[in-house]
Amino acid sequence: MKIMKLNTAITTKPSALLIAALTTTLLISGCKNIPPVTSGMGSDQIAPGQKFSKHLQVHNPELGEKLHISDIRSRTNNDLLEINLSLTSTYEKTLKLQYQFTWFDKDGFVIEAGKAPWKPLDLHGMQTETVPGLAPTNKVATFSLYVREVPEKFFKF
Amino acid sequence: MKKLIMITSVALTLTLIAGCTNKSVVRYGDATEVETTDISFGSTDLQKVAGDMTDSLLVSPVVGTLTANSRPIMFVESIKNKTSEHIDTESITDSISTKLLRSGKFRFVDMGRVAAARKQLDYQQSSGMVDPNKAMQFGKQVGAQYMLYGNLASIVKSNKDQSDVYYKFTLRLMDLESGLVEWADETEIRKTKGKEFVSW
Repeated sequence: MKIMKLNTAITTKPSALLIAALTTTLLISGCKNIPPVTSGMGSDQIAPGQKFSKHLQVHNPELGEKLHISDIRSRTNNDLLEINLSLTSTYEKTLKLQYQFTWFDKDGFVIEAGKAPWKPLDLHGMQTETVPGLAPTNKVATFSLYVREVPEKFFKF
Repeated sequence: MKKLIMITSVALTLTLIAGCTNKSVVRYGDATEVETTDISFGSTDLQKVAGDMTDSLLVSPVVGTLTANSRPIMFVESIKNKTSEHIDTESITDSISTKLLRSGKFRFVDMGRVAAARKQLDYQQSSGMVDPNKAMQFGKQVGAQYMLYGNLASIVKSNKDQSDVYYKFTLRLMDLESGLVEWADETEIRKTKGKEFVSW
């Protein structure tokens, strides 16, 4: 009888350890809501006629490898500054992007702060799309553009 | 021993399940963020429609001619909602008129506040409380020269795996004296909702 009990203890011990280890790992890793990546790439304040590539700042190298932003084409239309930039995908799958222009006056003050919405843009594999921007008033002297991937939340167990 | 293992496993599993329950959390969000809560008309659609239409109107050659030497006076007629949803179209026209007004190129009269303005003028003129020399006079208001109006239409399709909605927003500018439509443009939005595989 004693031998049998010992045998059971020996055979159940590894499985018990396994269950305990597995459950503890799951417990430690938890049911986590991972904050989405919201960094992207864009420019600091840039005036029409300046080279975009000189002002480009890549905060998300993964996106930087998949996306190329062209130089600016600009003109004044009805007194308002009109901007065109080309976004070229160097990635074979669809990039779900969003972009935002911010406008500044000649003193570097932001115009209509917090009112320029993020605009969604789907860029198919290797596609080039022109992004238009129009200054909200004729006081605009410089602008900045920021592009990022649509942040998606992941739940980790 | 077996009992102990069973109890431990059940207890740990319960803890794990309890740890994964949803908790309601209140947070402030970014009002300019792309919003994809569901397929119906949302804040991003409103911002896109208002932004596209304002930009298109402000750079059109016709508007360049109209606003070269003066700031034309406009009034906004309602946007007809031809979709199957309840959409506050006044909110779209509010955004468009605010953007146009802030561009400094147009002036607006607000037909929604005529009764309130009349009440105030009545008070100034006939209540005996306001100095007659400083009271605002009737019959001095300026009439609108142009009318902004439009439609919002949608096509909705769905099958068991996917839903698709297409919105088309049309805006027109009419010269009230001649009745001519001086400018028109439309913008489109497509939204789809389907199942995607999510991995962890």
